[in-house]
Amino acid sequence: MQHGGLASVSVTDRIRETVLPEEGRVPMFIYADPDVYALELRRVFGRSWLFVAHESEIPDPGSWVQRTMGEQSVIVARGEDGIIRTFLNSCRHRGMKLACEDFGQGKMWRCPYHGFAYASTGEFMGTLVGAPYERIAYPGGLDRDALHLIEARCERYNGLVFATWNLDGPSLEDYLGPMRWYLDILVGRAEMEVVGVPQKWVIPCAWKFPAENFTSDAYHTATAHAFLAKLNLTKGVDFGRDGYHVDPGNGSGLGIGIHPEEDGSYFPEELHEEYAANLDADQLRLLHRIKNFHGNLFPNMSFLIPNFIKVGDQWISGMMLRLWQPIGPDRLEAWSWHLVEKNGPDWWKRKGRATYVQTFGMSGMFDQDDTENWELQTKNAVSSLPRDDEVWMHFEMGIHLEPLGDEFPGPGDVYDGKYSESSGRTYYRHWRELMLEER
Amino acid sequence: MISVDHRLAVQDFLVAEARLLDHRRFEEWLALWTDDATYYVPIRVSRKMPAPDVVEEIGLFDDNKQSLTLRVRRLGTDVAWAEDPPSFTRRFVTNFEIQPEEGGEVRVRDYLLMYRSRGDGGVHDLISGEREHVLRVEDDSFRLAYRRVVLDQASIGTKNFGVFL
Repeated sequence: MQHGGLASVSVTDRIRETVLPEEGRVPMFIYADPDVYALELRRVFGRSWLFVAHESEIPDPGSWVQRTMGEQSVIVARGEDGIIRTFLNSCRHRGMKLACEDFGQGKMWRCPYHGFAYASTGEFMGTLVGAPYERIAYPGGLDRDALHLIEARCERYNGLVFATWNLDGPSLEDYLGPMRWYLDILVGRAEMEVVGVPQKWVIPCAWKFPAENFTSDAYHTATAHAFLAKLNLTKGVDFGRDGYHVDPGNGSGLGIGIHPEEDGSYFPEELHEEYAANLDADQLRLLHRIKNFHGNLFPNMSFLIPNFIKVGDQWISGMMLRLWQPIGPDRLEAWSWHLVEKNGPDWWKRKGRATYVQTFGMSGMFDQDDTENWELQTKNAVSSLPRDDEVWMHFEMGIHLEPLGDEFPGPGDVYDGKYSESSGRTYYRHWRELMLEER
Repeated sequence: MISVDHRLAVQDFLVAEARLLDHRRFEEWLALWTDDATYYVPIRVSRKMPAPDVVEEIGLFDDNKQSLTLRVRRLGTDVAWAEDPPSFTRRFVTNFEIQPEEGGEVRVRDYLLMYRSRGDGGVHDLISGEREHVLRVEDDSFRLAYRRVVLDQASIGTKNFGVFL
């Protein structure tokens, strides 16, 4: 397509004309264009349900963590009343950050600038509580209600805490839709807890590259992570193929790798009873066949139960949650949480933690390969911006495949075999819809 | 008070080790580690005083000899993209605090500053931290039995740890 000079084309017109996942193509400029990014912060991050914390990170009344929604700092807190809320981390007086730590515990936040204080439930409590200065400075008094902390909508599912600024949009359950069935397997199968704190590191890549990778890219494993086969850690180059590709709609996506049923479960026997109490028969049967399980909840929360690796005589895996937190059009901060079953046996916790750190995360042997790809894709995306003819990304894998029918019990469009980009195409359809939605 | 000879032997060992890594002589580097080695990098967090700012429950590295061996074997393949072409690194090892030998082991603390540059754009990353080692005395030299590195960032400013600390 020729634009005859991009200056004459608005970013929304260009998106409307060129983001064509239905035809198996998406233009490269959308990944790292500053104008696209500015609009994404409002229309994608401003309107979607965003993952902000796991309940186990804020276990007690008064405990809180500092998180980010889009680029806005927020406090996710369990109030003294036990209710979890999400507040803009900004004093109502002059906009100073109230919480400057990664996490903490207390009955209130007091602004370090002028002493404006807020209860853990968000209520304004006065300035320099107990001192006479407030009466002198504000002889007419302060409007307590008007100074309540700005609060996002905050809801939970299976221990995952989400928040959104879309105050009259769909409920979290409706937003998750068919994805709930799969999240049950991921984090609802047992009582889960975050181990320690998330790893955080900065990758010079645009946030959609890793999000689309977790959504729909099982095909990269044989090439990008070829060392696994080279070192005889997997049977062959096709270790990413067997299983299902899931397109649950709403821009999310999953890939579920499975092993033959006769191999038995790779999950520890000590937990089978708890799993059975939390999952239905179909979910339970699928759980016990999992070899790996990856996906992304639109827009930027990814998850992974990586390939089980045999350590001694035990199959080990260490699951994780990810956030691809944008810090500009071409940079992100990666957050990686390791979760484990709270009631799991010690060997499962100990070996799972080590396996997770060694294979994924900041130093993980897999993640190193991935960050390399995403960084260099981003460099090309930046350099494609000034071109008048679009640089197209190829998105055709599985475009003619038909989803399975009743033979797979889970909801959404499910395809036999992991090699498809169907949910990636849905990701960009959903993204385009949000980006073009005027309000 | 430790002897000058003891101090120099320990310093020389750690300086030579840094040189092996900077010159990508990973097999020789791996051979420095004992079979029961522990290599751990905890996570630093931003907290108000006096709360501890190091979280031990999970790390950025959580390795033993077996996993270090796997990392080195991986670097030896032709598909270790993240470090091929490799980063240019320079490890500056300073501020040694060396304990006397005790039971065949020497405890050491030092500071590490690693310069890392990869690709174009004329940019580099600096990785700074304090390290603790246990060196095991063996045949007039040492082997590495334990290393713990506390880094000086809560959000790490390099894209991955495809490099050893």
